[in-house]
Amino acid sequence: MLSSKNSFPCGRADALHDFAFDELPANERQEMEQHIRACGDCALEFDRLRITTSALRILPDREIPQRIAFVSDEVFQPSIWARFWNSGAQLGFASACVLAVALLVSAWRMSVVYHPSPAQPVAHVAASMSPEQIQASIARAVAQTRAEDAKVIQTAVAGVEKRLDAQYRGQMVALQENFDVMRKTALNYEARLGANEFPGAGQ
Amino acid sequence: MIFRAVEDTDLISRVCRGDVEAYNLLVSRWEKRVFNYILRLTANQEDALDLSQDVFLKAYQNIRKLDDPARFGPWLYRIAHNEAYSLFRKRRPETVLEDLDADRNPAPGFSVDLSLAVAAALDRLNPEQREAVVLKVYEGFKFDEMAEILGCPVSTVKSRLYTALDLLKRDLAPVDSKRSHRGPAC
Repeated sequence: MLSSKNSFPCGRADALHDFAFDELPANERQEMEQHIRACGDCALEFDRLRITTSALRILPDREIPQRIAFVSDEVFQPSIWARFWNSGAQLGFASACVLAVALLVSAWRMSVVYHPSPAQPVAHVAASMSPEQIQASIARAVAQTRAEDAKVIQTAVAGVEKRLDAQYRGQMVALQENFDVMRKTALNYEARLGANEFPGAGQ
Repeated sequence: MIFRAVEDTDLISRVCRGDVEAYNLLVSRWEKRVFNYILRLTANQEDALDLSQDVFLKAYQNIRKLDDPARFGPWLYRIAHNEAYSLFRKRRPETVLEDLDADRNPAPGFSVDLSLAVAAALDRLNPEQREAVVLKVYEGFKFDEMAEILGCPVSTVKSRLYTALDLLKRDLAPVDSKRSHRGPAC
């Protein structure tokens, strides 16, 4: 690294330079101080470094001829959205608000859709009836339900039959009308053939 | 009530919220150092002032990209380094140091020959060596900070610095010996 490095018999040029610039770890500083006191080459090099850096520092800092300052300008100002987006606290608060609103809306919708019927006092009713009565009630309810179902099915079948019958009748009428038209056309054609209205037809 | 100094990190967080005045305060803390750093690289006062303004403008525009506000100094100097080298690339190498002697006045209180000798010795270094000396001796950065600013390994930084100091020792030795023979110059 250094041309003078090779001239260091102790081989501690790098550590010496680090020491001179206060970059040596604290635990090695004391050891290096002792080494400099004992090693003539390192002591000489250390003195040269101090003299050189002292000489360099005689060049003073110059005052800046014109102070630098900035004025607020919309071009450089972050937009409101950017400021909001960059603000973690505000964004967190906004997220919490959105979540709260979503929960409220969800809860309201569930209350509108779901109307649980009041609970039947099954146990109370069951306690006041005997098993036979319960069985009879069930049988009655089943029979009633079946009767209602049969009635509904009967009504539906009757409706379908009625609709099919009407459809059939309509089709028959249309067929009859078509047949009449065809018969009239055939009769007309025969009459005209008999009257020899088609001279080329016999050739 | 407990008083504490407003740290750069406090100012940076305020700047990130759009506080321009906080940024002006931050600029006032760093402008002289940045100006002198660039001046020692470019050796031209006008360039140094223009580049300093550009540096602080870029820093303001990109301050939200600064990951660690505690590393504002090296980050700012990295921008300054890039700006200075952009200028070097735009110009021919020989024009970089053309106004050197005009802008480097001798330090008051020291002998003229020593100041000029130091300035001349610095100018004889190549730009990379000079920048290493400036960052270490004048700006007082640690090696890891210098590596961050220069964008190179610490070993490279040390190599440049120690080579530069070796050259400076040789250049400045006669002046020191002359000065010691003549006694104090002021």
